Amino acid sequence: MWLATLALLVAVALHVTPGPALGQTFVFGAQGEPVQLDPAIITDGISSRITRQVFDGLVRYKGPTTEVEPALAERWDVSRDSRVWTFQLRRGVKFHDGTPLDAAAVVWNFERWWKSDHPQHDNQVKAGQTFEYWEAQFGGFDDKSIVAKVEAVGSHTVRITLKDPQAPFLANLAMFVFDIASPSAVEKWGTEFGKHPVGTGAFKLVEWKPNQEVVLEANTDSWGPKPRVKRVVVRNIKDNSQRLGALKAGEIHGMEGLNPEDVLVVKSDPSLQLLLRPTNTTGYIAFNYKVKEFQDKRVREAFAHAVNKKAIVDALYGGTGLVATQFQPPSLWGYNRELRDFEYSPAKAQALLRGAGFAQGVSEVTWDDGKREPLVFWYMSRSRPYFPNPKEIAEAMAADLAKVGIKAQLQTAEWAVYLDKRKNGQLPLYMLGWTGDNGDPDNFLCYFFCQPGVSREGFYANKPLAEVLLRAQTLTSQAERAKLYRQAEQMLHDDVGRLFIANNRPPLAFSKRVKGYVPHPTGSEYFDTVEIQ
Amino acid sequence: MRRYALQRGLTAIPVLLGVSVLVFGFIHLIPGDPAVTMLGERATPEKVAEIRARLGLDRPLWEQYVRYVGRVIRGDLGVSIVRGDPVLTDLLRRFPATVELATAAIVVAVGLGIPIGVASAVWRNSVVDSLARLGALIGVSMPIFWLGVMLAWFFGVTLRVLPTGFRLDTGAAFVPWTNFVIVDAALQGNWRVLVDALRHLILPTLALATIPLAIVARMTRASMLEVLSREFIRTAEAKGLSQRAVILRHALRNALLPIVTVVGLQIGHLLAGAILTETIFSWPGIGLWVYESLEARDYAIVQGTSLFIAVIVVVVNLTTDLLYAVVDPRIRYD
Repeated sequence: MWLATLALLVAVALHVTPGPALGQTFVFGAQGEPVQLDPAIITDGISSRITRQVFDGLVRYKGPTTEVEPALAERWDVSRDSRVWTFQLRRGVKFHDGTPLDAAAVVWNFERWWKSDHPQHDNQVKAGQTFEYWEAQFGGFDDKSIVAKVEAVGSHTVRITLKDPQAPFLANLAMFVFDIASPSAVEKWGTEFGKHPVGTGAFKLVEWKPNQEVVLEANTDSWGPKPRVKRVVVRNIKDNSQRLGALKAGEIHGMEGLNPEDVLVVKSDPSLQLLLRPTNTTGYIAFNYKVKEFQDKRVREAFAHAVNKKAIVDALYGGTGLVATQFQPPSLWGYNRELRDFEYSPAKAQALLRGAGFAQGVSEVTWDDGKREPLVFWYMSRSRPYFPNPKEIAEAMAADLAKVGIKAQLQTAEWAVYLDKRKNGQLPLYMLGWTGDNGDPDNFLCYFFCQPGVSREGFYANKPLAEVLLRAQTLTSQAERAKLYRQAEQMLHDDVGRLFIANNRPPLAFSKRVKGYVPHPTGSEYFDTVEIQ
Repeated sequence: MRRYALQRGLTAIPVLLGVSVLVFGFIHLIPGDPAVTMLGERATPEKVAEIRARLGLDRPLWEQYVRYVGRVIRGDLGVSIVRGDPVLTDLLRRFPATVELATAAIVVAVGLGIPIGVASAVWRNSVVDSLARLGALIGVSMPIFWLGVMLAWFFGVTLRVLPTGFRLDTGAAFVPWTNFVIVDAALQGNWRVLVDALRHLILPTLALATIPLAIVARMTRASMLEVLSREFIRTAEAKGLSQRAVILRHALRNALLPIVTVVGLQIGHLLAGAILTETIFSWPGIGLWVYESLEARDYAIVQGTSLFIAVIVVVVNLTTDLLYAVVDPRIRYD
């Protein structure tokens, strides 16, 4: 009581005006601090939210879709064999440091990402920073890369020659990691460039206060539409509830990382609005195929009939979830709309278990080496976009399984430990998921199923599935690829390789004064369309 | 006194060495690979092995430890695994925020705890005493996390009289000299920023001060009751001294020794409590930093900060011991 009184007295004594005078400043509450601001190096969403404002790529995603539209390149041509891409750059575009964006600058960026002996590649690697996404999306560095040649064939024309056609080439280039940096700024700052980013984007970096906030200011010379706010401040507020508190108190204008139970709080507040990111994320249950019981397809199918996905999505996703029928979310063009999901039917599940010789149910499992142990169902301790309430979702699924006689003990581990155990194939039955990087089905399916039998995927080995996915990688016709991805989803379904539980549309909360925020499935939104009314 | 201080200073060396072994051992023994944490869902065995080799994590543990101690002796706490920044530089930049918060909390704890404890002892079994004891009991049992969230929501969201977090409002035009914002604002004569900083300091201070305040109040009450029953107090009263003089000059002075001990011990707890408080209030000190680093298994930051905090606790304990002589003239260290 005395503390409350004291706080009130001091607050009144110090009270000047409540909250900051924001004016034309857009303040966004982020879940953490950026790692750094060199787009070629970073891999996390918190950092890329800021780099997306400071840099542009040759191409970008159009509005809320993963379709590609012109950005620094105003048009492009591709050869008939889909190996040679020629990009025509916009004229008159300048980096924030005043240097021109031309073909030489673009070639310089590609060589920095691609060639390990490039001075600004080599020094980054020596400082412990890697060009991870280049390696992942373009096959590696130097001769290993799918890229054969990048050349300036005019002051504003860049030609990229690939060794083989790459189906998702443009979708890859639209990713935040391939945004173009000012060569002179990278050379000036070297490995410190990530603290002094210079691009062509709609906003320039003003200040980065460690552990607090990043301040950006509108770039009045921007080539694109002019930003509608003068400043952007991205504040680091670690705790989800506190971030919502700051939004309700008027200290920030928008936030991500809303707890599902807070969705209703936002909906019922007349001063706030809820926006949903288009779904690009899928949560699943994975079986470990070193467990003898799970090698029997009937047992896996029994699991699929036992879990009431709709009830879980309705009760635990705050109205933002969708029932998943397959790995790809419905927004992807490889999604199989014909696929018929397993119906929720405890009776069928019990019948399948009886048929597999488990009339008494399953409460213990046997590993390949003969070791028997109670069935443990692992769930993550950290909320992820695909499983916003992992514990509650795991409890609901365990309750469903118990109804048909599958008695699983729930267990969790801290995130780092969890990932470690999963990587080593130590989890008999576990929850995890995926969030797409570029809207291409390959990005969803191949990482998991192109290498049959790896420990991190619970030793799941489906060679025909891997062959289909690898074939799809080499084609350029989207229609033909879509057909293969639909086939892959059907194969995965028929084998009950995994149980796909839910797609989520991660919720974002904003003050009603904010207009023009367009949530993007990849989680990297441009702030140049945002205005404060 | 000087010789004692020197002796105690030397005994701190094995203590710190022990702390370094424990910290190094624990963070390497708990499961969870920083390489896997960095890569998240995208971890492949090849990438994990590559990152482990780059960070030197593939070397034997003893070798990693020997290298670490060697660097620490040269004043190098290493570089952050995740960000690549020098740990010591970042630590020194963030530490003032934690010191500011911990100092404010200790001032509130002592400034309120001692008067409450004294009042509680003087008016033993009265309504004042009951309320104080109840308040102290609640204070001691209050989880900081819950209290912090409640304070922020009540004062920040419902009443909107105080900010829910941070050290300053967005867009405060202020260039700190030392990162002690209050001191810098006062030195620069920037009253607007000073008031802003004080407003931001109130709620985290209250959250952090509650437990030490309750402990100090309880300890003061117990110590005062013990002293008040002694004969020299009756003598002082018999001499006709005012109650105020008896309590403040005779009783409190003699009751202070255990209170100083408790306050000294609370410094360590305050630094530990800062991890939660800073996380709730987005307070940019070492607590929030350690929390994020522990999650990311950023060994260098966790080790460096733990060692730094251990040094502070050792120094505070030594200072507390030396303060005994000031509080109680019978204590001599020669």
